[in-house]
Amino acid sequence: MSSPSLDSARAPGPHDGGGSDRAGRDHAGHDHAMAGPRRRPAHYLWLVGGVGVLVTMVALRSLTAEAGPWGLPNPVQDLLTLSTSVVVESLPFIVLGIALSILVQVWIPEAWLLRILPRNPWGRRAVISLFGMFLPVCECGNVPLARGLVRRGFTIPESMTFLVAAPILNPVTIITTHQAFGFDDGILVARLLGGFLIANVLGWLFSKHPDPHSLLSGRFAEQCRLDDGHGHTHSRRDQTLDLFVRESSILMPALVIGSLVAGGIQVLVPREVLVSLGSDPLLSMLAMMVLAFVISICANVDSFFILPFASTFLPGSIVAFLVFGPIVDIKMLALMRTTYSTRTLVQLTTIVALMSAGLGLVVNYVA
Amino acid sequence: MAAITLWLAVTGQLALYIHPRYNVFTVTMSIIAVVLAVASVVGRRDHDDEDAPPPRRSQRALGLTAAAVAGLFTLGMVLVPPASLSTATADQREMNATAGGDEESLAAAATADEASIARFTVREWAAILRQTSDLSFFADKPVTDLVGFVIADEDDPENVFYVSRFVVTCCAVDAQPLGVPVHLPDWAATFEPDSWVSVSGEFASNPSSSSLQPVAVIPDTVDSVEQPREPYLF
Repeated sequence: MSSPSLDSARAPGPHDGGGSDRAGRDHAGHDHAMAGPRRRPAHYLWLVGGVGVLVTMVALRSLTAEAGPWGLPNPVQDLLTLSTSVVVESLPFIVLGIALSILVQVWIPEAWLLRILPRNPWGRRAVISLFGMFLPVCECGNVPLARGLVRRGFTIPESMTFLVAAPILNPVTIITTHQAFGFDDGILVARLLGGFLIANVLGWLFSKHPDPHSLLSGRFAEQCRLDDGHGHTHSRRDQTLDLFVRESSILMPALVIGSLVAGGIQVLVPREVLVSLGSDPLLSMLAMMVLAFVISICANVDSFFILPFASTFLPGSIVAFLVFGPIVDIKMLALMRTTYSTRTLVQLTTIVALMSAGLGLVVNYVA
Repeated sequence: MAAITLWLAVTGQLALYIHPRYNVFTVTMSIIAVVLAVASVVGRRDHDDEDAPPPRRSQRALGLTAAAVAGLFTLGMVLVPPASLSTATADQREMNATAGGDEESLAAAATADEASIARFTVREWAAILRQTSDLSFFADKPVTDLVGFVIADEDDPENVFYVSRFVVTCCAVDAQPLGVPVHLPDWAATFEPDSWVSVSGEFASNPSSSSLQPVAVIPDTVDSVEQPREPYLF
């Protein structure tokens, strides 16, 4: 089956229409570089302000520590604890993802990554979907990395293939899933094959899109154009710092909002509502996928979380949880929205949900 | 947020949120984040996206809202004292659903010496209770200073409570409650749910007629204690 040319699906850059209409702006960019390093007074204001905020926070924290616990209602306190837990657990992965993204974008020679990949689109996506074997970063950390791949010249469907497959097809996830389930009921094998299959089907489907650029959020698409328009005028150090600031300022609010929503739902929605659905073959699958969506737990450890449900739910439902959750959950949707359009995410969620449910039904039939 | 994470690590409170095995990784990446953040403020040159078209009003509003939520949340992380999960979350998750244990561990527990038995935590007892209710097994195995928080047995909340601990695999989100039933009529008159206690006593047939637990601790002493520095079991 044919596929559109790689360039046609690539994020807008200097080699396509998106770059040529910015020639004048490039010129402006060169002027900056020739003028040499300069710092705005605002930078010093930010520095002074930052130090002031830090000192104020330390002072406030000292005061509140002496005041002791605030006596918040348990659900509110647990909401804060759960949300903070998600943020603290995800933060290092996000930083690692941003660091790897910077490495790919700034420090690895431009042609190197693209040259080592197969030319055939199917083979290329298949290899990209296995990148996670060497990058054992959980799903939230893969978002900045996927963004970096798009900026580095990978097509948008290719970035999606990586983003979807990497959390499942990585050594940490494989080991923890094996620790939890062994080879019982084919759960481990179904998870790995399912993750690979869904990622590559998604990549293939989106590669057929007539206008791949429209898959991106407007803001990210614009950033890709700007990167390519005058990124080459800056030193690697400046590019590194620029990317860090940009990525962290976009991703951290998304992470916080996703974590707050996930924590809130965990506290507010009675567990019985989900578990009561567990006895029905079809509804149990739906319940497991809803549970995966709500709890937004890291793919590296979700097997341990779902293990207690294994005696209540059918194996296919467990597989649906283990495949759907790492790709689509509240936290991931918030993070992915920084990169892809809402329409894209609706399509992606629908496809992944249908395929996860289908996979679960097959496992239930076979197991 | 990275700075707050470092502060939590320095004050030994990271264990309220994540498994200690991630401490080194978390601290390392937080240091990198703080260094890059400081470097970006101090050393970054001025080449922001002057070419970028101004964001639409809706984009600006969305961005500001997200930044405000993140800012408020960060402020909350600073101001609200860190706390472990409470009975509100335990109620949302099935008690002892993850209590492990197999025949080998049961056999090992059966032949354990007194000192080892005295060190059993909620995790070990919950695993044993999941596998056997044979009272002869518990005959020479008293419970000694079993520490956990109090949560009512939903089937007989007036007379039975669990000495409970959360077991955390990765972070507080995956915390699963384990508990050992204690029969103490009208316990709520003395102890609040969520308060931490130390229980000593012996296992016996559960006197409660409505509790589903066949075996429970008949306590000799139940003392209020401070929450441990690491409230979760890992």
